[in-house]
Amino acid sequence: MNTGTPMTPEELRTLMVAAGLFILGAIGFVTRRNLILLVLSAELMLHGVSLSLVTFGKIHQTAEGQAFTIFVLTVAACEAGLALSLVLSLYRQVHSLDVRLWTELREPDVPQPPADDAGDGTPESAYAGIPKLTPAGVAPRAVPAETMTTKA
Amino acid sequence: MSAWLQQHPLTFGGLLLWAIGIVLLMPSRSGAVKRPSPVALGLTGFGLAAFLGGFGRTDAALVPELLFWIFSLAALAGGVLMITAHNPVYGALWFAVTTLCTCGLFLTQSAPFLAAATVIVYAGAVIVTFLFVIMLARQSGSAGYDQKSQNTVIACLSAFLLIGAITKTLQTTTIEFNRTAVAAATDQKQSTSEAEAAEDQDPEPVQASAGRSASGLPMTSNSVQLADPLQIATASPPPAPTPNFLSKADEKTPVGSLRGLGRSLFSDYLFAVELAGTLLLVASIGAIAIAPRREEGAL
Repeated sequence: MNTGTPMTPEELRTLMVAAGLFILGAIGFVTRRNLILLVLSAELMLHGVSLSLVTFGKIHQTAEGQAFTIFVLTVAACEAGLALSLVLSLYRQVHSLDVRLWTELREPDVPQPPADDAGDGTPESAYAGIPKLTPAGVAPRAVPAETMTTKA
Repeated sequence: MSAWLQQHPLTFGGLLLWAIGIVLLMPSRSGAVKRPSPVALGLTGFGLAAFLGGFGRTDAALVPELLFWIFSLAALAGGVLMITAHNPVYGALWFAVTTLCTCGLFLTQSAPFLAAATVIVYAGAVIVTFLFVIMLARQSGSAGYDQKSQNTVIACLSAFLLIGAITKTLQTTTIEFNRTAVAAATDQKQSTSEAEAAEDQDPEPVQASAGRSASGLPMTSNSVQLADPLQIATASPPPAPTPNFLSKADEKTPVGSLRGLGRSLFSDYLFAVELAGTLLLVASIGAIAIAPRREEGAL
């Protein structure tokens, strides 16, 4: 049955990098709740598909893999534009990017998912853990206010 | 199955460590913005390296090997950090890192035009637009839905079952393609160069070399075959024309050359190109129609 040749390790591991990108995108699409991260995860899956198409094209020595990748690129660009306008119009209605707020299409016996659980009263800044520059050098001399105004 | 696990412990262990690292890195509790723990980062990186190293040694040169390792490790690590980012701005930036590293892998797979096009489309348009939307929809503080992921364990389990199945399938099956034809194309190149060298010395065997190249490589041109009736009469019947034969690479248009890509796109896939253009037009019209107007109120 197997009359062909096995793949070389170079081809195999490039294909596996592509598969890894695809499953990372799949995990992100299922687990994250931010609408924008969902769209970005879909783009990550498209990256994996493009990489495996290019690798297969190189294995078979045809330009078809790269031609298909150009179509994938086109579809990804269309998808990004449409998804962003959809996200904007959804955000305008509920002022949140939570995907759990959009559950009208679920089946009636499926329980309602818990709503946005941000309401624990801890509005954390997104920049909390970022280091700040320490003040250094000589503090500048305070300029009297009238010298700046009389210039003009 | 167990035999495969025993033969490839590095691949399996790498996948396991990678999955555990992703589960640990995922934002799981609301409230404080915590930094990614170094233990989970180390587990993920070690799992990635073990997974990629488990495919056996290659005989590539040092520089392509180094480029592959840098680009693939950075692409996968960027993907992990993107899907586990607590802040969507950082997620978009890690996605840009992954995009650039994927373009590097395109370069190593002899697709320079695609690398340039992907950088232009993604880094120039998609990432900027995403960052713009993130800034537009920015709230005061971090949102709770960014700090808590859903179905983490079961999603990672099913996804890594999928990649394990892909790995085992790709490792144990062989692909049905004609590696000898690819090798023959390069041999053909050498033989034609030898024939050209012979032509320089002696003008007589021009016909013979032309006939040989025509019979050996059917996609070169039909006119050469027609020009030599003797060759047609004596040679075996020509092979049936393969589908999309204009997309095949030969010595004039190697894989990844812009000439070969354009010839494939505008001959074999001409209708698909037209459809893609129509799709872009319709998508842009739809995006403008869906996007909220200014008189409908600000965001």
